Amino acid sequence: MKISFVLNGKKRTADVQPDMRVVDLLREHLHLTGTKEGCGSGECGACTILVDGESRLSCLMLAAQLEGKRITTIEGLSKGKRLHPVQEAFVESGAVQCGFCTPGMVMTAVDMLSRNPDPSRDEIREGISGNLCRCTGYQKIVDAIEAAAKDKSR
Amino acid sequence: MKREKQIPFRIGEATPRCDARTKVTGQERYAADYYGDHFFWAGVKRAGIPHGKLIKVHTEDAKKLKGVVAVLTSEDVPGSNRVGIIRGDQPVLADKKICYAGDPLALVIAENKETLQTALALITFDHEPLPGVFDVEEALRKDAPLVHEDSPGGNLLRLVSVETGKGASAFDECDVIVEGVFETPFQEHAYLETEAGWAYLDDSGQLVVVTATQTPFRDRNEMAPALGIDVEKIRVIVPYLGGAFGGKDGITIQCLLGLSALHTGGVPVKMWWGREESFLASVKRLSARMRYRLGVKRDGTFHALECRAYFDTGAYAGLGETVMTLGLEHAGSAYRIPNVSIKGSCVYTNNAVGGPFRGFGVTQVTAAMERIVDMAAQKLSVDPLAIRRVNAVERGDKNCIGVTLTHSTGIKKCLAALSDHPLWREREGWKMKAGQFKKRGVGIACMAHAMGYPAVVPDFANAKIEFTGEGRFRIYAGIVDMGQGNASTYAHIAGALLGQEASAFELIQPDTERTLPSGSSSASRTTYVYGNALVIAVEDLKKKILDKALRLFSTAQAEELMLVPGGIRHRKDKKKVSLKEVAGLFDESERFYTAYFRSPAATEMLDRIYLGPHIIFSYGAHLAYVEIDTLTGCIEVTGYLAVTDAGNVINPQAYEQQIQGGIAQGIGFALSEDYKAANGHADTNSLATYIIPTAMDVPDMLSVAADNAEETGPFGMKGIGEISISGPVPAIANAVADACGIRIGRNPITAENIFRALWEQNDQERPR
Amino acid sequence: MAREVLLPHTIDDLWEIIRSEPGARLYAGGTDLFVKLRPQAHLPSSSPGTLVCLDRIEELKGIHEEDRLVCIRACTTHSEIMWDPVIRRHFPVLTKALRLLGSPQVRNMGTIGGNICTASPAGDTLTPLYALGASVETRSCDSGRLMPLKSFILGPGKAALQEGEVLYGIWITKDLDFNIHHFEKVGQRKALAIAIASMAALIKLSDEGVIEKIRLAWGSVAPTVVASRAIENALTGKPLTEDVLRDAMPLVADALSPIDDVRASAGYRRRVAANLLLRLLQYSNTGFEGPRVQGT
Repeated sequence: MKISFVLNGKKRTADVQPDMRVVDLLREHLHLTGTKEGCGSGECGACTILVDGESRLSCLMLAAQLEGKRITTIEGLSKGKRLHPVQEAFVESGAVQCGFCTPGMVMTAVDMLSRNPDPSRDEIREGISGNLCRCTGYQKIVDAIEAAAKDKSR
Repeated sequence: MKREKQIPFRIGEATPRCDARTKVTGQERYAADYYGDHFFWAGVKRAGIPHGKLIKVHTEDAKKLKGVVAVLTSEDVPGSNRVGIIRGDQPVLADKKICYAGDPLALVIAENKETLQTALALITFDHEPLPGVFDVEEALRKDAPLVHEDSPGGNLLRLVSVETGKGASAFDECDVIVEGVFETPFQEHAYLETEAGWAYLDDSGQLVVVTATQTPFRDRNEMAPALGIDVEKIRVIVPYLGGAFGGKDGITIQCLLGLSALHTGGVPVKMWWGREESFLASVKRLSARMRYRLGVKRDGTFHALECRAYFDTGAYAGLGETVMTLGLEHAGSAYRIPNVSIKGSCVYTNNAVGGPFRGFGVTQVTAAMERIVDMAAQKLSVDPLAIRRVNAVERGDKNCIGVTLTHSTGIKKCLAALSDHPLWREREGWKMKAGQFKKRGVGIACMAHAMGYPAVVPDFANAKIEFTGEGRFRIYAGIVDMGQGNASTYAHIAGALLGQEASAFELIQPDTERTLPSGSSSASRTTYVYGNALVIAVEDLKKKILDKALRLFSTAQAEELMLVPGGIRHRKDKKKVSLKEVAGLFDESERFYTAYFRSPAATEMLDRIYLGPHIIFSYGAHLAYVEIDTLTGCIEVTGYLAVTDAGNVINPQAYEQQIQGGIAQGIGFALSEDYKAANGHADTNSLATYIIPTAMDVPDMLSVAADNAEETGPFGMKGIGEISISGPVPAIANAVADACGIRIGRNPITAENIFRALWEQNDQERPR
Repeated sequence: MAREVLLPHTIDDLWEIIRSEPGARLYAGGTDLFVKLRPQAHLPSSSPGTLVCLDRIEELKGIHEEDRLVCIRACTTHSEIMWDPVIRRHFPVLTKALRLLGSPQVRNMGTIGGNICTASPAGDTLTPLYALGASVETRSCDSGRLMPLKSFILGPGKAALQEGEVLYGIWITKDLDFNIHHFEKVGQRKALAIAIASMAALIKLSDEGVIEKIRLAWGSVAPTVVASRAIENALTGKPLTEDVLRDAMPLVADALSPIDDVRASAGYRRRVAANLLLRLLQYSNTGFEGPRVQGT
């Protein structure tokens, strides 16, 4: 089945089984391995991508659902060597340890800041509550998103 | 916020990690990220029953399926079909027995995932069910079913005992005695990256395995006899791991993957365990039952300690004995206790396989000891901080197994810093502000954690650094970076010594063909031991660079030259040459510098404990603020302070990362991670039922580094990877007791446990 | 064998699909269905044939405010509902419950219709919808039905959806005249948690602190949400005090039939559900003005 969508700003067409999971389409078919899989059942958030700007779990989406949608993956956030402010803040704040949760966490943070540009730390914690991290204890991730929010508002 | 590019690394300065950028952009490739134009998928059929005699595995239907490349059983394993660092009792593919529900019975290689799943479902097996054993003490009974009939001790894998002074008879000399039984359950690592790998036979017939492992060189040594391959014909390549915490220490996927690659005619094969499979088949923190008795003198000094511990290592030995042993070595936490009687039994059961998990036995005993210390304080009507300060060890004291502490011992500094901290000073005021239906409490805990391997196991690293033709530096990291940031710290160390900044360095991750054997990524050793070796290699390289550079300056004195980012500058006349120019003066054979370092180890009392004692310890003192909701029993950790003695701080950001991460895992272990299994079957087999903390379940954590250098460590540091995970269970349990007088000997301390205890305390009718 | 995945854009297209493929499995967000379909280690992957995604059908989406009622179409996501000002103004109890459902991503994908049709005893939208006295509208190609939500949920995992029907919308009456809108969920952690017990409460409290009107609903403590006229009657006309609430607690315990499961025991659920009544004391007034909305 041919599916047409916009991926990271570019029009794409994929010819795949319609019931292929989006996470597999991205990783196996399009060779974009930045989006990770941690559980396959919507519990960990590692597979988070943006669909029309909204954070969604690509392990619980089927390829057919991409038709006509605008998708952003972690690979689409930075522009050349310039990191997105959220990515920059993650690097500077020490929010990345093993890094496996990081792409999903960053995508969630981007959606969250677009809805709530000046969140409190508690609101940040609520905003990333769907992304599990086993390395950081979350604190530096909260620091990073707080810093990114301040940075964007300058 | 943004750092200027030309600032060199400096010791003690918060520095972003070198690997952060590629990880934050999704470019960093993990073991799970390998794909190709033509490759196969491999998967495993697992037993699903905890104990049985394996009679026959039926693979015929699976083999017939279109798209199946091969279906293998134990008959297809060319070597010994056994792994296990100490005992070698674990099969690659089960042959005679099934010892736990995750035992692998057959290996399927297929052209795609769907065919793989279908084929796995077609595999059946004949077996004779055997009664299982699921409790450590029941497993030690005479009539208990044997997990391994050929085990010399039956279900008792190892008994370790330590007696000092008068042992248990010293209780007669104590004024106050407290006792308790404490239990800690299996804990799941729940790393975000499940077990994954990619393997193929290259043109020269070498087996290449790319996998997430903490132990590349040791893996080769295990794979070779198990699969009947020459160790020199195995290459293990290790990308950054997506977390491990001990769960990838040793053989997980490697033999299965390697075996698959032997049957694909050179086509690469990929294996990636789903989350449920990881829950089923990965190792768990050994569960422990510990009976403690602490005898104290009226003046608060600890006089006698008795510990009877049972550690459940599950179906296979793995590293279970060493986990228990390290625990027993810390049975008395960070205190002087002149008379101890410590006995631990490491026991086989048909439960999940026990293995390394951050803390490695110390987390279990600390959970017990730090609670009994609070009980003693209460009985003596002494402040819990004061009783700890009285008994905390100092350098020169003997630790709880009677070994003299000859290295930095900063627990007293930790306690002093804790007692000075506003969080401690303001605790009573905070508690009084508890709202309606809330109770507040505060609890503390001390901890010690030995760094490195036990005395009889050589703890060494081989550093390797290359000065490239471009004038940059390539560090061949010998120890796997599983997320703790040691690779980045190697660059930090080298950068500080060479006056260079991050872009000057390239980090090569462990690869048995390119990096040098340096031991496992474990035991809180990864910066200390490789860092020490790297310092030696870098100093040699630095000297050579300056010597060579002299040719480019009209001076004879190397001391007049200094390294600056990207170059070398004359201190006086400021003339500068680039490192690339200097590199041009190096002959190819001069580019590589290696150095060997072996960590100091005990030379005395080697028979005091199995494999010998440790001599370098890190310390910590934690404080937990806890609020209990009396309507539901729900517990919230609203504040947390960790004061740590891990020597000097090389990178405060990386230091905090480790402390915070360990605390969060400890909070999960304390409050929500409840590995529930009955008769060898786990009910909690997914992230939906095994509850690890989300961002809303962990507070902001304060971390203070005690000022206490370890002279033998690179820039005065020592291990920090594990210490903090042992604080939360006892600190929180002690805080719960402070809040409402309830002492629960088991974790997780769930809302339901608290609720029931509060209910009983209020003397109302038991819940229906 | 790949499954067919259809994405009808109109409801008429949907009727056509249902007519020609009666065994097709309908879904909106997929957050329940795809977890259920996940291949397990020892089992073959379940293959339900054709899957039909409803999220392109505009008619099934959106929040439509009328004079006296609001209709939430079935395929509206939890996020859309949670952020909607009409819902926040008129039904804050639903907004509060949605904030505690799943996680941000699950809320962006999951729909109110999906949550209702899954009919889990722990469904987070169900408790507040019962308290709000919501009705559900189902439609088929040639007919429609309207019934109270509590008649639509038959039991754990069982909704009264007939062959050829889809859940079309959820109807809630405005101006319910309550000034306290309360929701609490008890879980093993603060997000991504299946409720162990939950309680929704709507109260009209007089200036003198008397309960003039009250609606209560409990979730996760019985096969379906529990709402009890007896308990509500026992509290109506009484002052909002601890004694009054404690007197009602035994009635709560009797109204529930919780189970033991991997998350909690029945005994705990029963006691906690009754205790949750006491949380209402935070609203008891000594000089409170106007609608009290807990921390939105």
